[in-house]
Amino acid sequence: MARGTSGWHRGVDRRTFLAGGLALGSGLAGARLVSAQTPKRGGTLIAAAEIDPIGLDPHNSSNFSSAQAYDHIYESLTTYDEKTNIQPCLATSWEITNNGKTYTFKLRPNVKFHNGQTMTADDVKYSIERVLDPKTASPWLSWLNAIKEIKVVDPLTVQMNLDAPYPILGSFAGIRASGIIPKGYAEQENLKIKGIGTGPFKLVEYVPQDRIVYARNTDYWDKSLPYLDGMVFKVLTEENARIAALRAGQIQYAFLNPPGATQLEGAPGITIMRSPYAWVVLHYLNVRNKPLSDARVRRAMRMAVDTNEVIQKAVFGAGVPSGPVPTGYGDWYLDPKTLPYLKPDVEGAKKLLVEAGYPNGFKVEIKCSPQYPEFVASTLVIQESLKKLNIDVTATQMEWGAFVAENAKSNNSCGKEGSDIYASANTFRPDPDGFLYPYFHSKGTINKGGCDTPDPKLDALLTEARQVTNHAERRRLYEEAQRIVVRDCQNWWWFAKHNIEAVSNKLQGYSQSFTGRRLFLKKAWLA
Amino acid sequence: MRYLARRAAWTVLAVLGVSVLIFLLVRLLPGNIVDIIAGTEGQLSRAQRAAVLREFGLDRPLPVQYLLWLGNMLQGNFGWSFRTGQPVATLIASRLPITIELALLAVLSVAFVGIPLGVAASVSRSLRVRTLVQIVGVLGLSLPNFWIAILLIIGASTLFGWLPALIYVSPWTDAWVNVQQMFLPVLSLSLGLSAVVVRMTRSSMLEVLGQDFIRVARAKGLATRAVLLRHALRNALIPIVTVLGLQTGFLLGGVVITEQIFGLPGLGWTLLNGVYQRDYPVVQGTVMVFAVTFVLVNLLVDLLYTYLDPRIRYE
Repeated sequence: MARGTSGWHRGVDRRTFLAGGLALGSGLAGARLVSAQTPKRGGTLIAAAEIDPIGLDPHNSSNFSSAQAYDHIYESLTTYDEKTNIQPCLATSWEITNNGKTYTFKLRPNVKFHNGQTMTADDVKYSIERVLDPKTASPWLSWLNAIKEIKVVDPLTVQMNLDAPYPILGSFAGIRASGIIPKGYAEQENLKIKGIGTGPFKLVEYVPQDRIVYARNTDYWDKSLPYLDGMVFKVLTEENARIAALRAGQIQYAFLNPPGATQLEGAPGITIMRSPYAWVVLHYLNVRNKPLSDARVRRAMRMAVDTNEVIQKAVFGAGVPSGPVPTGYGDWYLDPKTLPYLKPDVEGAKKLLVEAGYPNGFKVEIKCSPQYPEFVASTLVIQESLKKLNIDVTATQMEWGAFVAENAKSNNSCGKEGSDIYASANTFRPDPDGFLYPYFHSKGTINKGGCDTPDPKLDALLTEARQVTNHAERRRLYEEAQRIVVRDCQNWWWFAKHNIEAVSNKLQGYSQSFTGRRLFLKKAWLA
Repeated sequence: MRYLARRAAWTVLAVLGVSVLIFLLVRLLPGNIVDIIAGTEGQLSRAQRAAVLREFGLDRPLPVQYLLWLGNMLQGNFGWSFRTGQPVATLIASRLPITIELALLAVLSVAFVGIPLGVAASVSRSLRVRTLVQIVGVLGLSLPNFWIAILLIIGASTLFGWLPALIYVSPWTDAWVNVQQMFLPVLSLSLGLSAVVVRMTRSSMLEVLGQDFIRVARAKGLATRAVLLRHALRNALIPIVTVLGLQTGFLLGGVVITEQIFGLPGLGWTLLNGVYQRDYPVVQGTVMVFAVTFVLVNLLVDLLYTYLDPRIRYE
């Protein structure tokens, strides 16, 4: 028995600590699971969509499910390769001048929209200006706010003038609301269910709650792509239904959650791909009010919790410890081995609480939504762990819409309204800036309580990182900023989840993207 | 006739009441479309929020919103979905047939399986038959239908490696494919319902079978079959029909989850998504359809009474 227990511990340790980097390495190797066969053209992929997209408008949908659906239809000025490096897309090259305040994009010639029209600089100007228009109500407007003016220099050259340097603009691909649509198209069509872009697939039909049907864009600018003649995404929100359909050979692709993946382990003809991706499970803390305004208290609470236990219970071990920037994102992230508070230290935590003046603990509420069971599970681990510090945690479960509204309240009021702790996750950002500046710069737009009491050091670091263009220098600045927010527990970051995608062996050449998006279906084929 | 007129008036009042209730309830839910658009990661500025509210007419006073909605609805315009921009009436028209088919098949299978089973249980002297019916009854009542649905899906795919076609096919296009698609959802819906009906039929039959006129019928030398079906069942049907009618409400609730699990694009799932996404026009429209259906079914049940028992007369 004792041996069994220690064996379990060792296994767990190995997975998360020793091989924190290793797991990542093997995950990426898994992501490169491309057979040596030559691609074959033809065939229709039948896949499951795990969530019904909330509208297909590329400019004002905040939901990841929407991005998953419109990604195949629309393209941005740049795109990502398999290693999440920026690559040319609708722009073939770009130049940054005027001390980082002018971006000039050269557009790819002869790119055709799905309606046959040729894409020009006017379309780019129109599309980005649509996002900038408050009437469009784009939730990603703040990412493009720096743009003061868009100039069409000639049909294949667009110039964007900023009021301050903003290096994020170079990674247009990651800015969700940056798809290029034909000029005037939004006024003519209902973009929530229709779509015309330049992407590898044309939208044939979207029947909400039922299916999204795509056909190959025969005029795609990359002549060799895509290989598939078409794709049908059937909306199957029930994971068991997706698993059953995979087993019965009805679908060749499905996204799975960790428990579902264990069900399919070893099923014949099915490969389960997994690698850490930009999905950092965390708790947002409101640092405005007592007792959470005291960094010692936040740290003590964090120290009482075993990160590994959170990973085990929330996602059955399918994750790696992570700081603010998701583990595995370029070279921007903090090495998981160097993250503080990985192992619980209850005695140390008790001492900190005494120092902060809370030897007998206190009461606190954590809000979470069962829409994402892992958020509830991580919250329950915290609740249980904090009992050792006499901290009485109420875990309040809320329906997603209600939760979002609550969270928005505290975001919009600098922590004056709303509650103290929220369980959530951060997904992909086009730049490390997106994981830090909006939350921790005193001028950040999602700052929960730090707006009135700026941390001059942090403000300086995050401001400077927006001004320098040298990669190594930016890396150093973001590393330092991350160390500070992690040390002070501005939020509690737990882990980067594994992206788990099950594919039939008939689907070849597909690779996972760190963004979690299904970008590389354009390079997949049916054997 | 006067009765009918009175009932009709009450029906209209009930539906109006529901319309006020649902209109207010959906707005009482914390969070609205603005929050849903922003999500947890994006943000909307004050100006953007105002623009969204204006676009959807949510900036107007509540009574104005309500009257506009009611007025439009009377002219057949249920508004437009916030989420897809489609007319809600079109959405309902395309989704309703699926839900009606599902509910109708479920009720029919309950009637044709549950009632005979109940009758059999009431007359059978075999302990085995009675125990079986009891077990089915208890299980059917205590297992939630969404759980049965999941078990059925897993069972079909692992045991038989079979699942019906993924994309819904209407019975007019291909009846056989449609029957296959409806089989599991109907089964999962009707199991629980059958249990109620079996138990109701059994107890109702037992009560009737103990009455004098049954003994008279038997004494006259009528065949058991005739006694059971023509005399006993006919008299036992009233509570059964009542239960079936009431259970239609349960069924309408059941389709909400069942449709989602089986990926059937029906009205129930539309409603569920509408609630999650605070798509007020969709929620209001679908709830109105459900409410009207429920009221009409009850009216139908009341009218059926007079047919089943000519002694019942509505004045």
